Amino acid sequence: MQRALVAGIFLLLSCQLAGCVTQTQPAELFQLTAESPRNKAMETRFFETKDEVELLSASAAVLQDLGFQVEESVQDVGFLRATKERSAREYGQDIGRFFAFILSLGHVIMPVDLHQKIEATLVARPINPEGTRREVRIIFYRVVWKGDGQADRQYIPPGQQKMEMLRDPAMYQQFFAKLSKAVFLEAFAL
Amino acid sequence: MHAILGIILIAGALLIQGCAAPAPSQDLLALTEAQMKIRSIQTRTFDVKDRQLAMRGVIASLQDLGFIIERANEPLGLVTAARFAEPNFYDVVGVTVTVRQESAGRMTIRANAIYNNRPIEDPKVYQNFFASLERSLFITKE
Repeated sequence: MQRALVAGIFLLLSCQLAGCVTQTQPAELFQLTAESPRNKAMETRFFETKDEVELLSASAAVLQDLGFQVEESVQDVGFLRATKERSAREYGQDIGRFFAFILSLGHVIMPVDLHQKIEATLVARPINPEGTRREVRIIFYRVVWKGDGQADRQYIPPGQQKMEMLRDPAMYQQFFAKLSKAVFLEAFAL
Repeated sequence: MHAILGIILIAGALLIQGCAAPAPSQDLLALTEAQMKIRSIQTRTFDVKDRQLAMRGVIASLQDLGFIIERANEPLGLVTAARFAEPNFYDVVGVTVTVRQESAGRMTIRANAIYNNRPIEDPKVYQNFFASLERSLFITKE
């Protein structure tokens, strides 16, 4: 009787825990959120120029300076996509892995981040009918691949993926500072 | 004894059935009522001057919604974008938008959205998308 009760309580608790994992409904993903205007302001700058080609090629040049490879470009809609692959090793994670190994008496080897791909998508477009004013919007995100590890006797194979948007304002400021230097124009924020 | 024989026969029958692949039905590619409905949900017509303007509006509204533009093709009026189902970064929402000229100054815009390789058929999703697109097209027009 008591066992059944305990089992019942555990089942109830585990159900509630499962409820904690936030699952966003697709309909919400197609709606503007409270953060959207802030993200937009961070990702966008305005330039007083008529020359979109110049703006695009300067953007490509700045991305190249930052170590990106341009993968795709569509001039008609002012679109650029560039990627950069780098090591994702961090000392903090290696130290954490070491302590987990010691504390678990050698049973746990945590997988650490090994490799990352940073992607940038950039769109330049006119924002007034005369075409004298243009905005440039760039979005950065990255995909991280983990190495292998071990949990007790279970081997964790490498290649586990993690993706995230990069929302560090400094990164965007750095890009736009370089871009405005490259086109000899001042970049206006929202 | 009979019972064992029975079990073996049933197991054998199950095994044999497992071998026969189900034949694809004849109407696999036929247009069903449901598909027509989804198509009408996914399609809207807008009064926009030219296709490039409409495409730029589509791209801008997708970016506003936090999508990452993956591919664009101007001659075909095609835009492909994706985003993570934030706050979890394991689920991906993909969307393909096509812009076609219906007549002079009128554009038919169709959006197909998928959630982790499963098509989204919820009309709400498309309503939200077109509402945001309308806003973005209106701003570009001004």
